[in-house]
Amino acid sequence: MSDPAAESMRAAARELVDIGVTIREAAGHATAALTDGALLSALPQAPSAGYLAHRALLRAITDGAGLGYALTGGRLGALAAKLGGMAGAESLAVRVLATSLRLRIAAVALDHPELSADPMLGRLIEAAAADRDLEAVRALRALLKDRGAVRALSALAPVFGEVLALRALLDENPLNDDTAWLIATGKGYATADPITGMSNKMVAVLDTGEGAARRVDLSAAETARLSPQGSLLGFLRNISVVGTTGRVLIQSVAGLDGAVRHVVQAPGIRAGRLDGDSPQDLLGAFSSAVLDSSPYSRALAKAIDDYGLPQGAELALIGHSAGGAAIMNLAQDAEFCARYTVTHAVAVGSPVDFKRPADPRTWVASVTNQHDIVPTLDGQGAGTCFDLHPDWYAVDYFDSTHLFPLCHSIEHYIANIADDLPEARRRIDGRLGPFRGQVVRSQAYRLSDRAPRPAGSPFLTVPTYAVDGVELPIRCHNGSGLTAYFAADPAGAAALLEGTGFGPAVRVAGRALVAVHASWDRRTSAGGYRELHLGIVVPGPWRSRSPLVWLDLLRGADRRRSGSFLAGSVIDAAALGAVAPRLWGGEPYLVPLEFELTSGYARVAVGGLDERLLTLSGVLGPWLPVSDRDLVGYARGAAGTALRSCVRTRGLGRLHPVPRLRLAVAPGSAHPLARQLRELGLDGARPLLCLSATARQTLRDAAVPLPTL
Amino acid sequence: MPADSAAIAAHAALLQADIRALTDCAVRLREIEARLATGETPRWLREAINAHVAACATAAADLTTAAAHLRHYAERTRP
Repeated sequence: MSDPAAESMRAAARELVDIGVTIREAAGHATAALTDGALLSALPQAPSAGYLAHRALLRAITDGAGLGYALTGGRLGALAAKLGGMAGAESLAVRVLATSLRLRIAAVALDHPELSADPMLGRLIEAAAADRDLEAVRALRALLKDRGAVRALSALAPVFGEVLALRALLDENPLNDDTAWLIATGKGYATADPITGMSNKMVAVLDTGEGAARRVDLSAAETARLSPQGSLLGFLRNISVVGTTGRVLIQSVAGLDGAVRHVVQAPGIRAGRLDGDSPQDLLGAFSSAVLDSSPYSRALAKAIDDYGLPQGAELALIGHSAGGAAIMNLAQDAEFCARYTVTHAVAVGSPVDFKRPADPRTWVASVTNQHDIVPTLDGQGAGTCFDLHPDWYAVDYFDSTHLFPLCHSIEHYIANIADDLPEARRRIDGRLGPFRGQVVRSQAYRLSDRAPRPAGSPFLTVPTYAVDGVELPIRCHNGSGLTAYFAADPAGAAALLEGTGFGPAVRVAGRALVAVHASWDRRTSAGGYRELHLGIVVPGPWRSRSPLVWLDLLRGADRRRSGSFLAGSVIDAAALGAVAPRLWGGEPYLVPLEFELTSGYARVAVGGLDERLLTLSGVLGPWLPVSDRDLVGYARGAAGTALRSCVRTRGLGRLHPVPRLRLAVAPGSAHPLARQLRELGLDGARPLLCLSATARQTLRDAAVPLPTL
Repeated sequence: MPADSAAIAAHAALLQADIRALTDCAVRLREIEARLATGETPRWLREAINAHVAACATAAADLTTAAAHLRHYAERTRP
């Protein structure tokens, strides 16, 4: 309960505002008369009388002993007022408003004796009130040095808005005058930073986005901590459980009357970046406070729409900090209120003084700690002398904890409401009576400023179709691959190509070029899998020999003729292995695979420990950056058809010109792939060069049949 | 130019109303001072209110002069 003397002072401060506004109106009328073209145009008819009238008006609005430097209103008046502000010239209206603000500070000091008992705070407040700039800066510096920023702000919190407004009214910066006037008169939220005058809207418009929400599951531990019954403390504890993690919670409660109603629970800002993907960032808090609609409130509306409520469903909106401002933005959104019936809005620790519910039946409660700076972001704090919402239930209290941000935390508000504010809890719980009952449904949402870009967009955003239960193309979001090129025995290669219609193999110094490609596609639309292919590099189906084949290898898959004829392959995913012959030709063996690839080392092991087929391992050596190369493969399909398949890749790759890997075929292995490698003379061979990509995306479509070769 | 004359006269009438409003402000300021005279009124308040009262009186006088000149000007410009 506030001191009666403090209440008298607030009443006087309110009346002083009224007087200041009246004086300013009088000054406005005099300015309007002085700048009216009618006075000038009539001058030729009565120059002497006109001159005297002009002179009298000019004196009236510049007399330091009267209205002061009081040009105001209209373009000319506003310009002159700003020039006068820069020169430090004050009007009587400003002086009266300054007295009102000083009285508000004095009233707060009666409720907060620590303010007047603190000599450093007293020095700062006095200097600000007396327009002693240097002294105010020194006092603030001393306070910050002695207490640190957090403690200094916490100590100043109850009079923060008043001190800033006072300073802004009396300083020489004309840009912050309107904000100071708004704070002092309580006519609107602070439209600009009271210190610099930088427009709040300028800052808030940086927080852009249509808002988006997607369903997320709470962890089992979080779910277990949710309150099973609807109540004010239960909802606030749920907000604490959800935390400042970018998520919100919507619940349905079966009331004692059997009706199911719904509760939106919105936490405050998320710790971290100033402007992250989440609307619950610092910019989001700012825009929610000073704009009628923000990404946070728009994202909240989308979450509620997704939750699936019938037209006119009864909603209670509960929010803490920026969440409180966001739910009030929803409550004042006429379109939203036409879809749903917002019966209650409860904002805790939120700057909501200038929010107005669209539906007059919405019951609003605001709970604020006077040492919490966040609710004063709109310019009205503990010192306000205005009852801006006589129809709201507003609790503006203080406790022994003055330290911000501790006193702003949801846990601190819960403790205060539970232990120190029994009357407030009883009143609010009483009004939330229809929402007291069993919680029958809970759904969390993760909010974002805008709909998240589809995973892998744009590369992996392609039309899809199903073949044999596999969605094609297979889209790999996270994979890595290694291609090792070997110089192989040309006779062995020719034997593998014989009768296929492909070949002869591309030659390197008289040897056949063979590619061993291994990959681990960790996250794909067909699950994760590892595979290895052995391919003979061929110029292409219709080009037997060409000196340009090396240039052709550098082309993208869509224009490349050359490729690897699939001689053998292994895969470790049974489902994909089963459909592979129909999709890409060949007959892959289902075999365990190990794949390890770092920037400097590679190790691929095919076969289990007891029946190892081969290993390809070693140091990759120096490298050059290249874009990861697409892969083109040829294979024989069913009924002897020739197939061409592509793997399109995206990601940075590395070309290793002198790799120190070695391919080792298990000595006793009778596996067909092991036999082929031996026939190619690759047992114990080192690759000529390697291409590696530790992180890549791939698109793999079904193979295309080629005309009969 | 009757339009100019009427506009000037209208300004004079508005200022006349403002003179009454400023006089009323001075009265209200005195009442505030009286209400807060007892109790824990800050010492600087009396000084500030006295200054505001005096300024209101001066402002009212300035506006009275301006309104009189405007009325005279309006009469002289009447056709």
